[in-house]
Amino acid sequence: MHFSSRLTKMTEFGEGNKPASYKRIVLKNASEYHYLKIHLEFQEADFSLNAVEFKQLIISALKRLHGEVGAALLVDVLTYEEETLSAVLRVPNVGLAKLWSALTLFGSYQNRKCAFRVIQTSPFLLALAGNSRELVLD
Amino acid sequence: MAEFVDLNIPHLAEKASLQKLVEAAAHLGYSTVAINYVVDYDEKKKEIVKPLSPKELFTALPLVQGKSKPIKILSRLTLVVSDPSHCNILRSTSTNIKFYDIFAVFPKSGKLFHVACTTLDVDIVCINVTEKLPFYIKRPSVNVAIDRGIYFELIYVPAIKDSTMRRYTVSNALSLMQICRGKNIILSSAAEKPLQLRGPYDVANLGWLFGLSESNAKAAVSTNGRAVLLHGEARKTASGVVYTKKKTRATEEDETTPVSKKAKTAL
Repeated sequence: MHFSSRLTKMTEFGEGNKPASYKRIVLKNASEYHYLKIHLEFQEADFSLNAVEFKQLIISALKRLHGEVGAALLVDVLTYEEETLSAVLRVPNVGLAKLWSALTLFGSYQNRKCAFRVIQTSPFLLALAGNSRELVLD
Repeated sequence: MAEFVDLNIPHLAEKASLQKLVEAAAHLGYSTVAINYVVDYDEKKKEIVKPLSPKELFTALPLVQGKSKPIKILSRLTLVVSDPSHCNILRSTSTNIKFYDIFAVFPKSGKLFHVACTTLDVDIVCINVTEKLPFYIKRPSVNVAIDRGIYFELIYVPAIKDSTMRRYTVSNALSLMQICRGKNIILSSAAEKPLQLRGPYDVANLGWLFGLSESNAKAAVSTNGRAVLLHGEARKTASGVVYTKKKTRATEEDETTPVSKKAKTAL
């Protein structure tokens, strides 16, 4: 705050009548959500799920590991692609580890072997636009 | 940043499925894998086979995701011990044992767990996660193991397969964490199928479920694995003395003695 006020004063001297104001704001844990980009992998290629079934699957995964309390976690499916079975999820910060571990330990759906691959996680949705895991591209 | 390590890829009879497994591990981002050969004395299969060399398995090693470097394949021997006499094989100069990079023991009783932690010359002590722990993990033996640089291994694939095993995995892991406070733990897969493998970041997050802190959980898949490899290396060479020899010509390697053993005679 001291810093910002000094800056304003300096510009006042410089420009005269038109004070340009600067403000330095430091935010800690600005985002209250975490975003996950995930991809569901099945052994068989031909397997389709609609968005509702996909959400149901995530809730059942949470319920299997963390019980009713885990199933009550606020998880939103922001985007879902039916062809590639990939989605972007939003979850409150406190529930990230819970959701992630539930997805990790999810091994089968309707007696078919499957696996969740978490491609990226970030507190900011914009960061999911680039891929941080394969930064060294050739 | 430390590279990710998965020290438990079981040795499968079919080469094709083993290849697929290693390829999946490379795709997920593991830089080093160890192929695990289990020797169980209760079964009547006593011989220790020569480990498969990476050259036999792959003509071109699969590239690690995000690194554009080939994956490193090591070999590991796991002894399932239910009697102290079974450990003699580690002390004696038995055939084929010098080919392995890492030794692990799977103790079946509390006494053997103590022996493995305090006197046996091993790198890893496996913790049973598929059933209730048949003994209490005691603090003195764990403290000695931590001082000696021996690591405890927890495997996570049983937790994916079955819900009762998941319960045992979590409870056994938590009882171990109470004693060792998150130190000297490695998390590895023991996956038989590519779909059972999980990415290194997922496994690190799973460490949270087992009561590890965030930094300890990440160390359990990266730096601790590397420490195990170095511990194995120090045992193979003359207590850490490494002697390398530059070859003048590319001659055919003789398969009978590994390079590390040759170094010993040259000293």
